[in-house]
This record gives sequence, C-alpha cells and structure tokens, in this order.
Amino acid sequence: MIKLHINDTEHEVDIEPDTPLLWVIRDSFGLTGTKFGCGISQCGACTLHIDGIAVRSCTLPVSAAVGKKITTIEGLSKHGVAHPVQEAWCKIDVPQCGYCQSGQIMSAAALLARNPSPNDRDIEQAMTNLCRCGSYVRIKQAIRSLVDTKAGAV
Amino acid sequence: MNQIKNLSRRQFLAGSASGLTLAFLLPLSSRKALASQNSPASALTAFLNLNPEGKVTFYNPFIEMGQGTYTSIPMLVAEEMDIDLDSIEVTQAPHGDQYKTMFGGTQRYTGGSRSVRSSYELMRTVGSAARAMLLQAGAQALDVPLAELDTDNGQVRHKISGRKLSYGQLAEIAATLPVPESPPLKIESDFRYIGKPVKRKDTLAKTDGTAEFGIDVKVPGMLYAAVKRNPVYGETISSVDADAVQSMRGVIAVERIPQGVAVVADSYWHAKLALDNLPVSYAKSDNRSFSSEGLAREMRARADEPGLTAEDQGDIENAFEKAADKIEATYEVPFLAHTTMEPMNCTAHVTSSQCELWAPNQGVDFFAQLAAKITGLPLDKITVHTPYLGGGFGRRFYQDYAEQALVLAKKIGQPVKVIWSREEDLQQDFFRPMTVVKHRAALDKSKHITAWHISLTGEGPAGRLFPLKPGQADNSVVEGAIHQPYAIANKRVDWIKHTHQIPIGFWRSVGHSFNGFITESFIDEMAYSAGVEPLVFRSELLNSSPRYLKVLQTATQLASYQAGVIETDAMRYAYGIALHESFGSIVAQVAKVSIEREQPKIHKIWCSIDCGKVVNPDTIEAQMQSGISTGLSQLLLEEVTFKEGKAVQSNFHDYPILPANLMPEIEVAILESDAEIGGVGEPGTPPAAAAVCNALFKLSGTRIRKLPIKEMTFVEARENG
Ligand code: FES
Ligand code: FES
Repeated sequence: MIKLHINDTEHEVDIEPDTPLLWVIRDSFGLTGTKFGCGISQCGACTLHIDGIAVRSCTLPVSAAVGKKITTIEGLSKHGVAHPVQEAWCKIDVPQCGYCQSGQIMSAAALLARNPSPNDRDIEQAMTNLCRCGSYVRIKQAIRSLVDTKAGAV
Repeated sequence: MNQIKNLSRRQFLAGSASGLTLAFLLPLSSRKALASQNSPASALTAFLNLNPEGKVTFYNPFIEMGQGTYTSIPMLVAEEMDIDLDSIEVTQAPHGDQYKTMFGGTQRYTGGSRSVRSSYELMRTVGSAARAMLLQAGAQALDVPLAELDTDNGQVRHKISGRKLSYGQLAEIAATLPVPESPPLKIESDFRYIGKPVKRKDTLAKTDGTAEFGIDVKVPGMLYAAVKRNPVYGETISSVDADAVQSMRGVIAVERIPQGVAVVADSYWHAKLALDNLPVSYAKSDNRSFSSEGLAREMRARADEPGLTAEDQGDIENAFEKAADKIEATYEVPFLAHTTMEPMNCTAHVTSSQCELWAPNQGVDFFAQLAAKITGLPLDKITVHTPYLGGGFGRRFYQDYAEQALVLAKKIGQPVKVIWSREEDLQQDFFRPMTVVKHRAALDKSKHITAWHISLTGEGPAGRLFPLKPGQADNSVVEGAIHQPYAIANKRVDWIKHTHQIPIGFWRSVGHSFNGFITESFIDEMAYSAGVEPLVFRSELLNSSPRYLKVLQTATQLASYQAGVIETDAMRYAYGIALHESFGSIVAQVAKVSIEREQPKIHKIWCSIDCGKVVNPDTIEAQMQSGISTGLSQLLLEEVTFKEGKAVQSNFHDYPILPANLMPEIEVAILESDAEIGGVGEPGTPPAAAAVCNALFKLSGTRIRKLPIKEMTFVEARENG
C-alpha cells in the first residue's frame, strides 16, 4: 500500500512503487485533468504540483511523491474560489483544444507562487510546456495580466 | 417548396426530449439551396430542443477541437432565436444522414475550415424558425395579434401591455405549430452576437480539469489496451510470445490487431509495461527499402517531366521561348506528423446487440460506419460519443485507432480503452506528404514577368482516398499553386504524380501548407529578378485584384512595413511579407525578423485576414495565432524522415514542435467584405513561413527552398535589401 496526499486528502493505493505518478493519478484516482502527452518529460501536459513545485508526473515514480503534498488541476482552486491563474485564463480565453492547458496552468501557478512578479525572461524560462494549438500568445498575456495586478496592488 | 417541418417530440430521440424540437428536412445546406433546389427531402434533422424549463439543447453537427465551433455555431442560433448564448447547452449531434449539412446535405465532417461557412445561413435559419414559432405560440397564449408581439432575450413580449411569457412556457404550444417556410433573418446592423467578440463556452471546463477528452472517458468495467504496430508500413507482426508477459501484473490478454499486437490489462500502465516487454518478431518486406532521402531523390529527378495540367492560361511555351531572361527554383518540403497534443485513443464497448464508441473524431459517420462493419450491427445500434478533441488538424478523419478498440472490445466482451503512446502516435501517422515543387518564370527585356510555370511532384491525401477522374489533378497537391491573384498573363500548373509508399494524410491547411510557403517565396524571387521591391512588385500585380491588395496593404500598414534592411543602434532587422488565399479567406502576414546567434529571431508577425463575414472575432484572432504557430513550427523544426521503411523520429525530443520561446508577438486585423464567408482554422498557416523567409533573405541573402531550417545557420549579408 502506498499512501498519497492528493488535493488535501489522504489516500491509499495498492500499486507498484515505480508506476509513474501520472497514471496513478489518472487511473487509480480518476483525476483525469492531468494529461498524458509524451511520457518522457518533454511536453508538460502532465504537470502537477509536489509541495508547490511544478513537476512532470509522467516520469516520476509514485514512490517519490510519498509524504509530499500533491496538487492537481482539480485541487488548484480552494473552497470553490477560482485560482487567479484559472481566472486569468478564462478572462483572456486562452484555451483552444484545451488539452495542454491543465499543465500550462499548473506551471504558471507554480511560477507565480514562487515569483509574484516574473519578467518576460522568467516567464519564458518557466513556461516550457508545449501547446500544439499555439495558444502561447494568450498564455503569456494571461500571466502578464497577473503580474500587473499584483504589482498594482502592492 | 417548404422543406422545413416540425417533428413531434415523440418522433425525436424516443421521448428523451420534451417541448419544442425543431426538425428540418434536408437538403438544407443554405437558404439558397432551399430556393433553388426541388430535391426531395431525404431525412429529418433535429437541431435543437427547448424544454418547458427554458433549457435549450443544441445538437452541433461539428466537433470542437480548439477551433471554437462549440461557441461560433450556437452563436448563429442564439442570434436569430433571440436568446442568451449561455442558455444553450451544446451537445454533439449523433451520426446519421440527417446531420449532413455540408455540400447540399451530402456530407458531414469537421475540417477544411468549413464548419461556420457551411452552416452560416442554416444555423441562423434554425434559430429564426424557432423564434417565429415561439412568437406564434405567444399570440395564441396571450390571444393577441402576432404583430403586437416581439421577443426579448428568451421571452415573448406583448408590446402594448408589457405582458411577457418565457420561451420555456411557450415550448409546448410551439411544438404543435408548423415550421415557417422562410423565417426572416436579422439584418446585420441588428446583430447582437455575430461579429462581436464572444467568450468561448468551453473555456471554464478547459481550465479546471473537468473538460472530458477521449483519453479521459470512464466506462464501468473498462479495460486498457496498449498497442504496437509494425513500424514499417504494410508489414505485419509475424509472431509474439504472449507467454512471456501473461503473468505480469494486471495483464488480461495479448491480442492481435490489424498489423500489430495489443496487451489488454487492468490499467494503462500495466498494459504498456507488458507491451514493452513482449517479444515480437516482424515480418519483412520490400517496404524496408523505403527512405525519405531516396524518395526526395526520385522526385527531384522527375521535376522536369510533363505533368497533368491543373491550370493553364495564356501560352507559357511561347512566353518562355521569347523570354529575355528566365529564373527557376526547386523547393522541397518534408513529411510532417500531426502530433495532436492528445495522442490517438478510443474506447469501445461491443455486445451482441449494440456497440458504443467513445472516439475523438472529425467525422462521426465514418466511425459509425466502421463500427457497423466490424461488429456486423446495423447503424441504429451504434452510438458514437464525441468528446472534446485534444487537437485534430486532419489526423482524426482516419479511424485506425477506433478499429483497434472495436476489434479488441469485440474479442474481449468488455469495454476497452486503447491509448497510443506518443511514439506510436508519431510513427503510425498519416503524414503530410513530402513534395518537390519547381517554379520557373520568364521575363521580357524590360524585366516584366511574362510567364510562370509551377510543377509539383508528389502525391496528395485526397487522391489517396477518393479516386481521381482521368486527367484530373489532385487538388490536395496543387491547391495554393493554382488560382493565384497575381496578374501574370501566361501561367501553368502541372502535377507529376509520384506515389508515396507510406500513409499520407490531411494536415492543417493540406496542400496550402507547402504551397503558401513556396509560391510566396518564389513571388519574392521574381520581384528581385525583376528588380522591384517585393511589396511594390506584389502591389503592381494585384492592381486588378482589389480585395487581395487591401488585405496586403492592411498588414503592411499595421506593421509600418519598410523596404530593405533597417539598422538601428540596437538591431539590424527586416520585414518579410506573404499573401495567400486558402479555404475562402485571404491572409497577409508581415514578419519582423533579425538574425541572432546565426539563427532567425522572429520578433513579431502582423496578420490581416479577409474572411468575408466575421462571426466571432475573438476566435478569428486565436485561430490566426494558432495557424501562424503551425506555420512557424514547420519552418523551424518539423520533419519526419524515413529509413528502412520506418519513421526515424518518435517523440518530441527528436520531433520538436514550436515551443513558447520561439513564438513571436502577433497582431491581427480582421477585415470584413462582401465576399462569401471564408474559413479561419487553416488560412493562418500557409503564409507564415514565407513571410519569415522573405525577411531572412533580405538579411542574409540566403533563399530558403527546403524546410525545415533547423540545421541551417544564417549570416548577415550587407548588400541585400
Ligand atoms: S506527458 Fe509528461 S511531459 Fe509529456
Ligand atoms: S490548447 Fe491545444 S494543445 Fe494547447
């Protein structure tokens, strides 16, 4: 039995410890907002947070997540209040097909938690998730909109 | 003749709907077709249902793969029905002839940038007919003359007394009324939605993880399958040693599928682990001799052969004979993969009496027919669910992944979800075909272009699927080379058919995906050989094509285009331009480019589009950004090569697609015109590479004639502006 802490809840699962966290999240827990895109840490579709850090879960053995706080796209918003990144995504209508967007949002949320006012270079370095639909222009716009808001509020 | 009629609710969806259900007799692809055709009605179509609670369900014949049809199509209905767009719930229409709204009611698929343009009038008519019937119902219910009523956002209102009834309250009465013969459509100045930026209906679900894609489908009792086909097209897997993996955890079965093998297990990971450990041997065939390098050599060698003529105007032979000067250039583009972000997948459940399929697809009827063929069940026992697609780009017309799920589900007797690895997805693609294109131009003594000859060698995905008539050129090869707007008196386009040994397919913008790049690069080559600045050169040749000229000027003005190379203290840069019509829309792009560390740096692309009518400008902007990203991706990075019959690349590490840091800023201008409505999903792609390459030529003097350019380096040359 492996104990996991996912989206503020403790879970137990009978699974081989070297199973990639992505498939445990998706198939054992039915949290399908986290996506499979490549399986080799290239695309970022599987991005989730481990202790607040953006991690690509397709190559991370589930055993490495034991004792840590896992947050998936489903757990990003707390108590029914949309996370600011999700809000910005909605305001700017970022998604196209939408498949990469959970990962994009998780990457952006981790970036902003770490650095509330990233410059373009910081954004470029953190946002390496691929989007086949080319929604990059709006992703950047959405992140910038959050940087501005925060800077203005201080 | 009235081809519209209402359907009682019992006739529709076997009692699942109540209230007003609007059904139309097809063909009804447009009001024009209605007026001009007297063809007999072939089927009934129900597009929307209004229940007594006021809930409107819209059965969308088109799928959502990012291009915005789950917003733009219901916008057309909401506009004319006079209801809030938010009150419409969009559902995917089931398979069946009744939803074939394209080409006079004969076809239905989502592609060719056709969804909005093929249903612009039809869907407005659906909304307008519903509104007319609700008004009529209101007149009955309120016992007042029809003329004293109007509608107000989901309500029928008595103008004099101010009394109001909601659409839901009137649904039952409206359902008993005949559908009006030709309900009036709004005049454009009254539009509330059409032409205004409207937020997508699917955004929220795509930001909180709840949007369900095919790969996310959960069915009780579902098993998972990992699959592997012989990577050499046309070859099979000759034997597998199932015993070697049978005892691995979770493994339920090892089964053969067409050209390959599947491991079925209790989870995807168990299936994949076992598949990776499964000893297989491949049958060998002549197809191993296939290489993309060899193919390119063969095609290049044929470039001067006479081809099948796709377009011929004037007399090019004569013009070339009399020419004072001639130029020629051969261009080459590689095979490309779709790599939709969501890998191919499909879930199937087959019993002796029915079949359910959850299939990301771009044409539900193709999938239903395949299911009927494999299961032997009649079409009405087959249900195809179409979830959101994690990208399509032409890949999901093809049903190979659904075939696997059907075959496995039928054998196993339990629901099976097939998920392809990225490697399988990339190597078992229907590839954008490699193509070699030779351009020649003749100039007279005063350096005017007198003739233009384009000769394309290769094979197209359309001809592969649908037999061509004798003498007919494959449009999916020559599109974008034929019908140029430039006034060049003598022009010919020839196609030399060279069959590829591998699966080829429709890839975003199809033939335009390379012809946009190639024709607009060669137009630049012609300009330099004529000694005329590229923008001036194009403008002169577009003198009698004002619509094209306006699009071009819009983009160049937006960009503050300047000729030559611009040098400031900070940077040396240049603007490149390209103009291309595809899928009924004209797009011009201006790229601002510099060279940094021997590589192009694309700072910004200004893009103008004339798509006739504008439905959702916000979507058009997004689709231009998206289309440009695809165009730049194929310019900079993408290439599938083949060795010994196999695709060499297998995943994003060796088949990179455009990452965020290479995406330029983009500014879009949307022009409306009197022209017929055009598409927007694809037209952004074709000009992008040419605009960048035309700027790069100014900077470096290097003319790019072969894509991609990932291994090239560029140095600044001083004398090219
Ligand atoms: S699926 Fe994990 S990075 Fe692509
Ligand atoms: S929105 Fe389609 S892959 Fe990013």
